Amino acid sequence: MRHVEMVMGTAVSIELADPLPDARLRELIGDVCAWLHEVDERFSTYRPDSEVNRLQRGAVRLEDCSADLRDVLGACADLWRSTDGFFDVYATGGLDPSGYVKGWSVEVASARLAAAGARRHHINAGGDVRVRGDAERPWRIGVRHPTEADRVSWVLGVTDGAVATSGRYERGDHVRNPRTGRAACGLASATVVGPDLALADAYATAAIAMGQAGIDWLATRVADGYESAVVTDDGRAYTSAGLPVLS
Amino acid sequence: MRRSTAAAVGTLTGAALIIGVRLSVAAPAVTAAPPPVDLSDTDLAGSEVSDGQAGEAGQPTPSGSGKASKEASGKGSTETSGKQKNKEKEKKPAEPSDGGARQDGPADGVYRGSAVTNPYGTVRVSIKISDGKISAVDATYPTTADSGRINPPAVAALKQETLKAQSADVDAVSGATFTSESYVKSLQAALDSAGA
Repeated sequence: MRHVEMVMGTAVSIELADPLPDARLRELIGDVCAWLHEVDERFSTYRPDSEVNRLQRGAVRLEDCSADLRDVLGACADLWRSTDGFFDVYATGGLDPSGYVKGWSVEVASARLAAAGARRHHINAGGDVRVRGDAERPWRIGVRHPTEADRVSWVLGVTDGAVATSGRYERGDHVRNPRTGRAACGLASATVVGPDLALADAYATAAIAMGQAGIDWLATRVADGYESAVVTDDGRAYTSAGLPVLS
Repeated sequence: MRRSTAAAVGTLTGAALIIGVRLSVAAPAVTAAPPPVDLSDTDLAGSEVSDGQAGEAGQPTPSGSGKASKEASGKGSTETSGKQKNKEKEKKPAEPSDGGARQDGPADGVYRGSAVTNPYGTVRVSIKISDGKISAVDATYPTTADSGRINPPAVAALKQETLKAQSADVDAVSGATFTSESYVKSLQAALDSAGA
């Protein structure tokens, strides 16, 4: 069963492939959507009363924030260190952990689905994909071509894991180099495949912010189980050795 | 119960060890140069070599973009071309590169970056230039001292390949949408409608 939900400023598509009764599948999809909307309300920087914004303006102290938010901020701090500062929740001035929150919320949703018996599924949140399934039938995940929007550069076979792509083709100069404050350039898109969608997404975004140096930085993530594919502004493509390419 | 307790203890011990290692090496304030690349010109194994000085003008910098790097390299080539040309003369005939002849970009050859130290170790990046473009990138991570405990012994950079465009016979597309507006036109939308 397939469903598309507009939430967190993007389109989230959910596919549950287990042979469960339709009513049960609808219920599970409803649970996922409710969770994503809840996350949006609590963490969005566009909602003045979100927990993130209340923390930002000092209306609530960090120690009084929810465990979820404290976990998210802790993870973002770790990412700031592991990316040498290129993943920065303060890159735009105020506190904005949404670069982590989307992937994290999908991770939580996917884990809940599996725990509820829907073990074969995929969730695609605006191009960041989390799949679960069985090894005999890996999901076929395309990586969008950076300049030809209706084509893909690679097709990856993923059974249980995350595929996140950060690109400058749609968001334009959205990604900034936090060291210079200027728009990042050098890489047209970066794709990261690994166990955790929040980290994969953050790594892809950090690589874009690094520019050319991101190619080598991504290679250092392989040791942690994160494979990658990169396309540069001038059309060169790079892949890590373990990338699960089908075609 | 017992197993879960043991597992929890094991996990905590592992975490403590990891934190311990981090702290023992750590330089908490990351003020050092950004990660890899600070390239000065030098050659690579099997190509002509010019031994560059660290931070020599005209080489890509860590935060540099492809474009910026290219421009920088182009500019730098005016300064360094003399050196490059000298190197050309010493070049072994076996190397088929057309090296220093190019005016519009870096000379062909292998360039090794200066070593850049960050809190987790020292990184050295090499690039190979063919036809004025980077055709290969490699990075080494020394295993000496503390860095060997954190950095993998040697990390090969991603391998370059040809960028292909192909039609999608896929279940989902990574990177296909970022905003709800663009969703309408996107491949993800097409897939969703096809599957609906």
